[in-house]
Amino acid sequence: MAVAPTRAEALSLFRSLLRTARQFSDYNIREYTRRRTVDAFRENRVLGDAVAAAAAFADGKKQLEVAKRQAVVYSLYAPKAKSIMEMKLQ
Amino acid sequence: MAAAALRPAILRRIRLSPSPAAAAGAAAASQPHALARWLARPMSSHDAHLTRDEVVDRLLDVLKCHPKVDPSKVSPEAHFEKDLGLDSLDTVEVVMAIEEEFKLEIPDQEADKIDSLPLAIEYVANHPMAA
Repeated sequence: MAVAPTRAEALSLFRSLLRTARQFSDYNIREYTRRRTVDAFRENRVLGDAVAAAAAFADGKKQLEVAKRQAVVYSLYAPKAKSIMEMKLQ
Repeated sequence: MAAAALRPAILRRIRLSPSPAAAAGAAAASQPHALARWLARPMSSHDAHLTRDEVVDRLLDVLKCHPKVDPSKVSPEAHFEKDLGLDSLDTVEVVMAIEEEFKLEIPDQEADKIDSLPLAIEYVANHPMAA
């Protein structure tokens, strides 16, 4: 039986994903992960059905594991040059 | 016996000036905030703690830069949800942005409580690691 995540659990997952997103050294991947997290939570916030909410939550947790693992892997291959988007405007 | 007799004579000769640290301590004792700063200084790696005004200014900037916030509505008394029209997801994002701005790591329990600018100001201004 699927139990819908509580509001606090969902926000905690959201925060964990955003924290993990911040760890990527590559600008593009960092921003993509952040954007994808925000978009997915916005899209799924209307889920009223407990089964669908539980499935989305489980998927989010899986994605968090992926993101954590990939942040470590990508840190081994960090880009040597910064992205132009990270440069401070003169 | 001889030493006891000698002692007042020696003390009369030598005039001890208070050490700089003791003088600073005495000066600091007259102002409680200065005393706190004086005690914290040897433990701290950076020179100056943020002033409250600076914290307020930078927090207002963080809020104004958030895409969903109307910059004209931002004030130091604003509540994220009631005044700025943010929802719980936006609030999490704003708190993360504040963490980034001040190079902090706010634990989840604390971050959940921050739902308005006065609370954010309070938290950052009292945080010893805020930079």
